[in-house]
Amino acid sequence: MDIIPVLGISVWLVVKAFFLFAILLYIVFALVVIKQVRLMTDTLEIGLEEIIRLVAYIHLAFAILVFVFALITL
Amino acid sequence: MPDVFISQKKKEEIKVATSTLKGHTHNPLASYCPNPEDARFVGQDKEEKIVLLLRRHPITNVGWILIAILMIFAPIVLTKFPLITFLPDRFQLVAMILWYLVIIAFVYEQFLDWYFNVFIITDERVIDVDFINLIYREVTDANIDRIQDVTVQMGGVIRALFNYGNVIIQTAAEIPLIEFESVPKPDEVAKVLRELRVEEELEKIEGRVR
Repeated sequence: MDIIPVLGISVWLVVKAFFLFAILLYIVFALVVIKQVRLMTDTLEIGLEEIIRLVAYIHLAFAILVFVFALITL
Repeated sequence: MPDVFISQKKKEEIKVATSTLKGHTHNPLASYCPNPEDARFVGQDKEEKIVLLLRRHPITNVGWILIAILMIFAPIVLTKFPLITFLPDRFQLVAMILWYLVIIAFVYEQFLDWYFNVFIITDERVIDVDFINLIYREVTDANIDRIQDVTVQMGGVIRALFNYGNVIIQTAAEIPLIEFESVPKPDEVAKVLRELRVEEELEKIEGRVR
């Protein structure tokens, strides 16, 4: 029932690919955020640059972790 | 035409007027920072001193904070509606994690937008730093002595209640208009600009122009 008749593959495999692609896009976004933060902190030094940079890297790490988690569990 | 002669008494009066902005803040999240000690910006001259650093009033963040709160609680509300219940549990879990990632990104972007879009008044010029999108920066500046007119716009109940508004600076520079949007204490900002213009005039007369 879960098999796509024409392709002969599971529908959940397609859904998994869709999920992984979405998370990959998110990882690219997280990388762009790091670039953005670098641009901002190079332009202005106001006091919270270290924390903001750290949050950007944690954000990227978390996105990668979610990708790995999705790859394993789905 | 500038005055050729200014009496000593007049000079003293001007000096008193330009020294009204006292105090400084160490709070990096403040939206009205007089004489911030640790602040630096790209293109700052060695001798240039930041007199006032401004960003939008914190109350302007209420909109996106409310949206974020709604987004956080949306999955709880949506459990009443079978939107993703057709998915197996493991897919639902990953979808939920993705949703919260999106919320984190939204909150982070909004915070960055508020924190880094600043207006700076130095003893030499006014600077408007804008980050238009993720990787585009626009820094507009105009020398204090090029300022022609300063307009304060403050209308509406919320703005009057929280004392914030727009300060529109017309200049004779290439960029004719610099707008400080939704900044706290706009009257004081305008006053500081007026005083700096007077001081700049005085410097010109005394031949202390950098």
